[in-house]
Amino acid sequence: MRRKSRNARKGLDGLVKALSSLAALTGIVFLVWIICEVLIRGAQAFNWSFFTALPAPPGTERGGVAGAILGTVGIIALASVIGIPVGIFGGTYLSEFGGNRFGGVVRFAGNVMMGVPSIVIGLFAYGVIVLTLGHFSGYAGAVALAIIMLPVIARTTEDMLALVPNALRESALALGSPRWKATAAILFRAAKSGLITGVLLAVARVSGETAPLLFTALNSPFWPRDLNQPTANLTVTIFNYAMSPYQDWQRIAWGASLLIMAAVLALNVFTRVVLRERKR
Amino acid sequence: MIPEVKSHPPGAPEETRSEVVSSYLSAEVRISVRGLNFWYAGKQALFDNNLEVKTNKVTAIIGPSGCGKSTHIRVYNRIYKLYREQHAEGEVLLDGRSIMGEVDFIELRRKIGMIFQQPTPFPMSAFENVAYGLKLHYRMSKGELADRVEKAFRDAALWDEVKDKLDAPATALSGGQQQRLCIARALAVEPEVLLMDEPTSAIDPLATAKIEELIESLKRTYTLVIVTHNMQQAARISDFTAFFLEGRVIEYGITRQIFTNPSRKETENYITGRFG
Repeated sequence: MRRKSRNARKGLDGLVKALSSLAALTGIVFLVWIICEVLIRGAQAFNWSFFTALPAPPGTERGGVAGAILGTVGIIALASVIGIPVGIFGGTYLSEFGGNRFGGVVRFAGNVMMGVPSIVIGLFAYGVIVLTLGHFSGYAGAVALAIIMLPVIARTTEDMLALVPNALRESALALGSPRWKATAAILFRAAKSGLITGVLLAVARVSGETAPLLFTALNSPFWPRDLNQPTANLTVTIFNYAMSPYQDWQRIAWGASLLIMAAVLALNVFTRVVLRERKR
Repeated sequence: MIPEVKSHPPGAPEETRSEVVSSYLSAEVRISVRGLNFWYAGKQALFDNNLEVKTNKVTAIIGPSGCGKSTHIRVYNRIYKLYREQHAEGEVLLDGRSIMGEVDFIELRRKIGMIFQQPTPFPMSAFENVAYGLKLHYRMSKGELADRVEKAFRDAALWDEVKDKLDAPATALSGGQQQRLCIARALAVEPEVLLMDEPTSAIDPLATAKIEELIESLKRTYTLVIVTHNMQQAARISDFTAFFLEGRVIEYGITRQIFTNPSRKETENYITGRFG
């Protein structure tokens, strides 16, 4: 038996370190590249009319995405109103009461749902809502997005509640707390930052979804007066404009991309700051 | 070499001992356990436990790890029901009434409080921690609530240390303070019995001494059952001691007797440090 060579061990260590650093670097390079590209090209599109005007024909230089901004905000808000409570309650069920067979089935279904391509969910909303109502609508878009949010929120809620030590659960119950109150007043509070993070992740995730809106909210050149009609939104606008041959439309597509990226980033930073201050 | 354990502890003259013993024996029974069996997912953990917890006394439950001490007291407030795979059979009476059937857990757990091994402050302020239990069970004005919270903190010998930081998060307190906060929280709802599951095993010796002092003063008002793996602690603070081994109550009696003159070989081996 021989002792292993110290140099060989050191060499292997160095090699693994170098390879993993390289892999990490590759990821970061593309991220920075995307951000820079979107930032540089998108910033050129930002002007007064970009934020205040409705779409205009190519060449007029007066077009904007104001309607799409409002429409996107409206659709995401409605999707959140539907998706967040259902997701949180669903996740709570799985964590607190889902130790049975039914819980296992629901958990499995949630995992499958998370893997369903968003375009399929768009098609589902198209078939169920658009065809039934006979027209495209912001409602259908919101429902599609809510379905995408649901398993994400339910899963993070379950995971975050599972991280709360059982001792805390037991001591709340041992005081004579009813189960629902222990969950709402103590477990939710203990898991608060995780729950908020899960919700924001889900909101951020659907903010960039295009495919489910293509068949549902579609798009519109008008102001979104209510969601019961085709509704302008940023992602489908990006899709349409980026594919167009007109340079000024392409520029607006870059601008809209920057807007979404910045909004999602701001959402993340905002949460972190708020959570950090609360903790103090 | 077997340590000498048969001598009487200092400060216990022979003539008063019998009086003490008879006062112990005549104490009222608060909790009566008869033929209690317990299973974890089909694996039996308690075998035919019989025990009588006396009112306004401290009952210590000792025994090696995994002998069922905690499992036993977790039946008293039915907290094991949180886990669907845990199952108990037998009879437990509180003040002569069964708590094993369809009972109101909320009222049962108001009457029987529990302190855990790890301090478990709720993620809220110290004041809200104690107010939480009060608000669960009683309707009262803000002023009355504040008075009751203060009283609970005083009863748990914590008031002087927290009175200036009632609104700070309870998690900012030291470990020993957190444990006394949990005691205050449990006392606030006016229980009859306080179960303590190794309440000092996660905190330092000075904080432990404070809690032991507190236990001594609490028994005037409450009936205490304390699970401990620390035999010295059991000898110091308890009136009665139950020795558990492999899910069975091997011996149960007056603490001094158990520690000085155990009737069972297993008890003697355990308290003389031969195992455990």
